[in-house]
Parts: sequence; structure tokens; C-alpha cells
Amino acid sequence: MRLRRLIIATHRDVGYFFAGLTVIYAVSGVAVNHIEDWNPSYAVRTELKELGPLPEAPTEALADEVLRRLAIDEEPTSVVRMAPHQLKVFLDHRNLTVSIPGGTVADQRVRRRFALFEANFLHLNTGKGLWTWIADLYAVGLMVLACTGIFIISGKKGLGGRGRWLLLAGLAIPLAYLIWKAW
Amino acid sequence: MRRTVAAFVIVTAMAGLAVAGELTGTAYGSGVTIAEPTPIATLLAKPEGFVGQKVRVDGVITGVCEKRGCWMQVTDPDTGQGVRIKVEDGVIVFPYESMGHRAAAEGTFEAVKLTPEQVAARAAAAKEAAAGVAAAAGEPCEKAGEPAVKAGCDAPVQNDTIYLIRGTGAVIQS
Repeated sequence: MRLRRLIIATHRDVGYFFAGLTVIYAVSGVAVNHIEDWNPSYAVRTELKELGPLPEAPTEALADEVLRRLAIDEEPTSVVRMAPHQLKVFLDHRNLTVSIPGGTVADQRVRRRFALFEANFLHLNTGKGLWTWIADLYAVGLMVLACTGIFIISGKKGLGGRGRWLLLAGLAIPLAYLIWKAW
Repeated sequence: MRRTVAAFVIVTAMAGLAVAGELTGTAYGSGVTIAEPTPIATLLAKPEGFVGQKVRVDGVITGVCEKRGCWMQVTDPDTGQGVRIKVEDGVIVFPYESMGHRAAAEGTFEAVKLTPEQVAARAAAAKEAAAGVAAAAGEPCEKAGEPAVKAGCDAPVQNDTIYLIRGTGAVIQS
């Protein structure tokens, strides 16, 4: 009885402590699961624009002309002549790929997806270092939650009855999938 | 107490900073340890001579893997020649918004033999680029049979081989 009280208290407190991180990881998990269909961290929008024929000129002058025609009043981060027929102008969260001499521009704007960028940064452990240890601690926390969770209730709704069948069903799903896919 | 807090903040802020020659910025992976960069033009002039060697290149980031940050293209702004820095997925993640920033990157120079399908896809993309279509549309050849290599349209091909750097670290100017 004393052990069950300890299990319930542990499950409750660890659950409270990791609830926020669980929601963050769950949201990011769904977002990243569908990475083939969309970009979960950045919203990238590309617009094609026609500037008309561009004169042959040194790289910097050509970039100035492109910015003037697009009415962009911003100092580029950098300008690179990738090839005789292509110029790239990099601005803050925006880049222009210009066809020369045709004047077709791919105007690409990039912004971080609100909250999702940060959630993915944590979930995918992009920052490494200290977060690796915190994420490991969270993994241990999840193990504690799982192990204590199955012993919270005894009797018909616990491991002696319905709980047992739900536990086995939960294990059977990944096992069946592996048998289907891997073997 | 205030001094301790201030010192902690300064040390924490500096921990993410790295220096590579004249370049100060954020370090990725193991950062940059080689003092002298090899000019990209030198690498690409006789690439066979550098295969297997650990090299450092400096330049402007002109392309980044959009979804996973698993590669970036470093281009010499003076010549327009670039080389792709390919890293293990998830081990190093280059931010997509770092395009246009200066970077130093190092790793092992490698040759990757293309399949006939990849050669054909790249030839088609190059034809479109010459017509000014692909240049505006981005990097379409990545969607036409490139994922196995992920070296991109702008990686130079010599004798059906592309050359890239298996990146171990980089410093990107903030």
C-alpha cells in the first residue's frame, strides 16, 4: 500500500514536471513526421517577377539595378555572381535569384514558423550541448511515467484485467508493424 | 552576486561564438580547426588531387538544405565557384536563414560518382538553367532524382563525378 502511494505520487509529480515538454515534443513530432509534405520549421514563399532585360554590368552595379527595379531599399548581406547567367542577391530573410540578361527574378522570402521553429529546435536537439542532457533526463522521465503508470491501479481495471490487455495491445502495434515491414 | 551573474551571462554568450581566421560567428559541429582555407577554384581545378584530404573552404553561403539543414553550398563570391558541404542528417543542422552570410567550413573532400539517371537529370536542369528557367525556379534537379546524392544542381560535374566536402564543422558569421 505504501509502495502504491509512492508510485502514484511519483507519477503525479513527474507528470506535472514534464507536461509542458511533452506537449512541445508531441506538436513537433507531428510536424516533423510530415516533413516530406512541408517544411516544419520555415515558411518559404517564392514569387517569380519579371524585371525586363538587364544591362551587362559589374556585379554590384547589377545588384543595385535589380534592387532599384524592385523598389527594395535595403543593403544586401551579400551579392554573388553564380554564373554569367545568374546573380544572387541576399537580403535579411529574403534572397533574389536573377536570370541575366532576361531579368526573371525568383524572390524568395523566409520566415521561421511561429512556435514550431522553437519546438523543432528542442525536439530535434539542434542546439546540442546542454539540451542533450535535458532531453536525456526527459527520456528517463518518460520511462518513469510509463513504469509507474501501469501500477497506479490494481484490480479489474489494472494489470489484473483491462490494463493488461491495453498494455499488450500497445506493444503489439509496433511489433506487428515491424513484422510487416522489416521481416 | 551581480558580478557573478554578469560573468555567467558573458561566458554563456561567448560559448556559442567561434573564430575562424577573420571570421567570427556561430560554430557548428567541431567548428573550424584548419588555419588556412584552400581556395575553391584550386579545389575544383584539380579535384582528384584533394580527394580524401581534410580541407577548409571560405566563402558565402548560397544555398542550404531547406527542410533538414543537412548541406550548405559555400561559394567564392569572386569567382562564383562553389562547393557543397554535406553533413550527417541531424548531427549538424545549418539554418536556412544563414544564406548570404559568410562561412568557413571544413571536412573531407570527396568524389561521388553519379548514376546515368542523375547525369541525365542534371543535364536537363543545366539546359533549363541556360534558358533562364531553372535559375529563377530554384534547384529543380533535386526533385528529379538527386536525393541519393543531394549535391544540388550547382555542384560542378567532371566525368560524371561531383565533388563535395563531408563536413565536420563550420563557423557561420552571425
